[in-house]
Order: sequence, then C-alpha cells, then structure tokens
Amino acid sequence: MKKEETVKLISAEGFEFVVSKEAAMVSQTIRNMLTSPGGFAEAQHGEVTFPEITAPILEKICQYFYWSLQFASGKETEFHIEPELTLELMMAANYLHT
Amino acid sequence: MEKKQSKRKTSPSLANLCIESASSSREIVETWRRQKQLISKKRGNKKKMEKKQSKRKTSPSLANLCIESASSSREIVETWRRQKRTLERLPSHLADALFRRLRHRRLLYPSLLEVFQHCVEEVDLSGESSVDAEWMAYLGGFRNLRILKLSDCRSLNNHALWPVTGLDGLKELDLSRCSKVTDAGIKHVLSIPSLEKLFASETGMSAEGVKALSYFTSLRTLDLGGIPVTDKALGSLQSLAGLEYLDLWGSEISNNGAALLENFPRLNFLNLAWTKVTVLPHLPSVTTLNMSNCTVHALFDGESKTRIPLSKLLLTGATIVDPSEVLRNVEASCMTFLDISGSSTCNFSFLVNMRRLEHLDLSSSNMSGSLIDDLAHVGDNLRYLNLSKTKITSEAIALLAGHVSNLETLSLSYTAIDDASLPYIGMMTSLRTLDLSHTGIQGFLSDKTFSLIELQNLSILENLNLEETLVRDEALYPLAFFRELKCLYLKSNNLSDIALQALSSPLPNLQILGFRGAVLTNSGLLLYSPSPVLRTLDLRGCWLLTADVISLFCKHHPRIEIRHDVNSAIGSSSFQNPSKGPRARHGGEKLLEVPILVGMNSAIGSSSFQNPSKGPRARHGGEKLPEVPIFVDERIKYVREELLDLRFSPLSNLTLQGREMLPTILRKESDA
Repeated sequence: MKKEETVKLISAEGFEFVVSKEAAMVSQTIRNMLTSPGGFAEAQHGEVTFPEITAPILEKICQYFYWSLQFASGKETEFHIEPELTLELMMAANYLHT
Repeated sequence: MEKKQSKRKTSPSLANLCIESASSSREIVETWRRQKQLISKKRGNKKKMEKKQSKRKTSPSLANLCIESASSSREIVETWRRQKRTLERLPSHLADALFRRLRHRRLLYPSLLEVFQHCVEEVDLSGESSVDAEWMAYLGGFRNLRILKLSDCRSLNNHALWPVTGLDGLKELDLSRCSKVTDAGIKHVLSIPSLEKLFASETGMSAEGVKALSYFTSLRTLDLGGIPVTDKALGSLQSLAGLEYLDLWGSEISNNGAALLENFPRLNFLNLAWTKVTVLPHLPSVTTLNMSNCTVHALFDGESKTRIPLSKLLLTGATIVDPSEVLRNVEASCMTFLDISGSSTCNFSFLVNMRRLEHLDLSSSNMSGSLIDDLAHVGDNLRYLNLSKTKITSEAIALLAGHVSNLETLSLSYTAIDDASLPYIGMMTSLRTLDLSHTGIQGFLSDKTFSLIELQNLSILENLNLEETLVRDEALYPLAFFRELKCLYLKSNNLSDIALQALSSPLPNLQILGFRGAVLTNSGLLLYSPSPVLRTLDLRGCWLLTADVISLFCKHHPRIEIRHDVNSAIGSSSFQNPSKGPRARHGGEKLLEVPILVGMNSAIGSSSFQNPSKGPRARHGGEKLPEVPIFVDERIKYVREELLDLRFSPLSNLTLQGREMLPTILRKESDA
C-alpha cells in the first residue's frame, strides 16, 4: 500500500497503528481531520495522535474500522468486545464518532 | 442575533421551485401532462436509488456495540463495574443509554446504581414494581440527576421518597400512579425548588397537599389528574405564574375554580375532563383544551372580543348545549384537532370554518347523511376522520369523496354503509388505513362484479379492516392490488380455505394477517404460503384447526407468531428464537423438542412469552426450556393409525444423531 493511502494513528503511549485511509474514515472525527479544507497538520503528515486513547483501545478501534467496512460490503459477522474494554472503548468511540 | 437569523431566509429548493412552476396554471399542466414516460421513469429512478441505498448497509456504531456488549449479562456487568474512575468520566448521554439498556435487560439492581451516581442525568424506572426505599437511597446520591421518572412504581411510599430531598438539580419528577405516595411524601419533594415538571396524577395526594405545591415557583408542568383538587386548593397555586401545562381531570373544580385559571398567563395545555366545570373564562394563551365528559355551556367566556386560537380540542362524551354558542370565542380557522366523539350535539355547522382541521373524530355522535355537507367543507387538510358508530350512509360517502383528497385514515366501522360506497372511498387515494369492519359490505356490487376492485386506486393502503363483514371467499381476489398492504384483518364465518389461498402470494408486504372465525381446515392452512415478512397470523376462532397442524406450520415458518385458541402464544415462544438472526446456533438442537413442547403451550406461554426481555436475545429463555418440570408426552394422544401417518410428516425425517439430542426426560425413559 502506498504511503498516501495510509494513516498513522498514535496512541497515548506512543504505539503506532498504520491503517488504510478508507478504514480510518469510518470515524467521522478522523474523516473531518483528514478532509477538511485548509488542512489540519494531521492531513499533511498522515498522522493523528490520540493522547487520551490507550494502545489496547486503539487497537480495538482499528479492528472495528475494518469490521465496519466488511459489514458495509455485506459480510455480517459479530464484533467481539472484551468486557473489560467496554467502557473505555465506548468513550473513545464517542469521541471518534464511530 | 436571533432576529437577524430569522430574517435571513433560506432559498426554496430547486425541486420545490419546479413543482411550484409546474402547477402554476392549467396551460402549464397541459405542457407536461403528455410526458407520461418521463414521470413514470422518474419514479423508477427513485425506486432504483432506494434499492441501491438499502443494499449498502451501515454497520452499527461502535458506541452502540459497546453498550450492547456491556449489558449482555450479569457477569459482564461485574467485570466493568469496578472501573470506577472510568465510570466517573463517562459522558452523560452514554451513561444514560447504558442505564436504559441495563434496565431493559433487567440487569439493574440497587447496589449497581451506585456506579452511575456521577454520570447519569436521566433515570426512567417507570413501571418497576421493585423500586423501594433501597433503590431510592442509591438514587438520592445521583448528583447530576435532571429527570427522574418513577410512574407506576407500586412499591414506592412516602418513606422511600425521602432521599429525593438531596437532588437539588432535579428538573422533572414523575410520580404518576404511585398510589402509596401521599401528602407526606410530597413534602420531601418540596425541598427541590428548581423543579419544573411534576407529574403526580392518581397519587394519594389530597387537596391539602396540593396547596403546598405553591412553593414550586419555577414549575411549568403540573399534572394533578385524578386528585380531588378543590377550588380553594387551586386558588392557593396562584404563585405558579409560569405554569404552561395543567392537568386537573377528575378534580372537584367547579366554575368558581375555573375562573381562577385566568391567573396563569402562560397556560397552553389545560385538561378539565370529568369535572363540573361548565363555563371557562377567557384564557388567551391556551392552545390545547380537554373538557371531555363535561357539560359545556361556554368556552372562553368574557368581555374580550378576541377569539382564542385553539388548535386542539377534546370534547369526548361531552354534553354540548349549543355548539355554535360554545365555540363562539374560538378561532375556528386555527383548529387542527377536534374530538367530539360520543357527544350529544346534532348541529355540526361549526365545522364549516375549520379549514385547517387535520384530525376529526365524530364516532358515536349524531353525524348522519343529512349533516354530511358541513363535514365536506372541512376540506383538504383532513388526515384522520373517524365516523364509526354514526348514522352515515353510502350516499353520504359519495358527497364526501371529492372533498377529502388528503385523508390518510378513515374509520367507518359499525355504520350502515354497503358496497355502493366503495367506488367513492376508492377516490380517496391518500388513504393508508381504512376500517370497514362491522358494515354491510358484501364484496359484490349490484351487477355481481367484485366491489373491492373499486379500491384499487388506493395504492398506498397499509391497513385494511374487513372484520365482521359479509365478504365471501372469492370476493377477496381484488386484494391482490394492494401491494403496500401491511396489515389485513378478516373475521367472518363466510371465509374458508379459498380465501386464505387468495391471499397467499400477491401481498409481498403483509406483516399481520388476521383470519379469524373462518372455516379453515388443516390442509387449507398447510397450503398457505405467507409473504416473507409476515410476523403475525391470527387464527383465533378457526375451530377446525388442530394443534399439531398449527405446530407443523410454526415449524415451517418459524418467524411467524400464530394466535389460536388452542395455543394462544405459540409462535413467539422460545423455540422460534434460535432461528432469529445470527444467534441460530442452538436451532439444530431444538428441532426435536418442537412437536413435544407444542403440547404444553400453557407452560411456554407463562414462562418465556411473558418475559419482558424477549427479542433476538431471548436465548436464555430458550436454554431453560428443557428444564420445565411439567411434561406431557404427546404420543399418548395419538391412536396407532395417526402415529403411522406421522412417519411421513417432515418432522419425522430427522435422524437421531446421538442420545444427547433427546430432551432429558426422554433420555431417562430410554435408560429405563
């Protein structure tokens, strides 16, 4: 995959997750950051840092992005969420508008 | 700023401009009239577009998935409930949604409430009979609570209500029908002066308790329905100048008390049903008025000549002495909702000026064929018209037909109309709901042609009721025209297998089919092929059907809930749940139990059917079923010949794959 087609999502601890732009755009917040005219710094570097989101949560969110794309294309599977992550994940999802 | 914004007009959309221009004069209409192809094409395009859109499904949002997952079982609740610091930071709309979900799944219990005390702003526990002092003690700690709904909490008493004293941010409190709450309980509430909405209908309050409510100076909504409020008590509430909504049904208010209502300058909703009030003073701000079951002499009586722009008026069962006199001070052109069902008036001339009326209920009134002219004037805005139990005739419908082109709901049940009215009803092309039950409709016109065919222009009809009419089997064939029909109700002993066959394939959107009291045989039911979206099939009163055939039908169509006298709740019992959606895992194991369980519908009905947490996640109910202690072996019911016949039924074709598939009780039997 070319570098222009990917986005780097960075967690609070500095873990980096490289996902395709299409997947990241499942999040309305990230979509706004990457597409708004005038340009956030995020759009130029293809990097978004989330100082509030920890690595396990961000990993789960990336999984959700790809799951959501699959779901939209007709492959309906169940998305498993570990019980201990639910609350944190809920808040992150709320922030990311997914 | 606001003025500026409202001044700045948005331009009308291009599509609207086109419609405006296309309909501006007859000549212009003629120019596009011939472009029939284009019109039909456009419609086609739209349909295609819709199809495309519906194909691309959007996945459920992650926040919703999390809420679902967090409230899926008690064990899972235990894993997250200790994350106190996260819970404190939870945004209130998420916390409220999670709280609602937990309640819906019946996973809430008093000590769990504690974890929500910082984040939840809205609590709705209406109808929870378990809510008592313990629950309330925890709720008292909810610092940010704005809305607390406790209606129908039967265990709630005065003592239990004490903790609300600490909820100083509370804006809305609903105690409706908490009959154990009396004046002493309301005293606890008095310490919340910021309260804006209080619902206390049918509580144990007395007139004395009502007087105390004068402390709530910010109150905007006050519901005191069913409480014996006296004129004197109402008088002491005059400090509530901001009151907008006042419900006093069934109170002891008389005309003297009604006169005091002038002291509430912002009042826009007023309910005085079942009171002794006959004369209402001039209340310029009122837009909704309910004086059902009162004797009405005058509305908005007073020296002022300005008419009241009332939009909604309910006079159900009221005795109206002289309607034109009563409505003299009402601005007829503002009225959108009028319910005068069951009232005794014989004069409907007041309807003439009500040109904006959308909802009109005249059921059980003296409306008759000779008075229909007044109704015809009401005109194009009418969406809902109820004429059931009136002396209306087919001729009257003919007079009405051209005047109500936007009518969406029409009820003519229990009237003397017959098939001659159907061509005229067929002209009301916006109809979605049509009730023709208990009428003389036969399904044939005088020249022996099908009469229901006259309704074929009702292309968006969704609900049709033909119960207790004289319609026979073959007369139902024209129903095939109603492609959008979702609910169809039939009840007549003139119907047989043929009628059900006629309804088999042509109605693709049918969700509910009532086929009651018909002479339907077992084979007739098995030959029926329902629409793919059918949810409910009501076969009550089809006495020829036997339980085993119904259970066979259920097995073939597991989505469909069957209602029948021998098994009133069979369809939605748990054995069909496994096949719902992605949770079908247990489906295979259940199959064998089906014919046996059918015999004990009473047990099913009382256990899982009434479980309020039913729905796609009712899996737990399903798993419990084999443990139901009562067990009737259905085989004893059959004679040898019948059992031999059953060998060829599709149910018997299942091969046993090991003994664990048998219900426990049968396993024991084979051990022995």
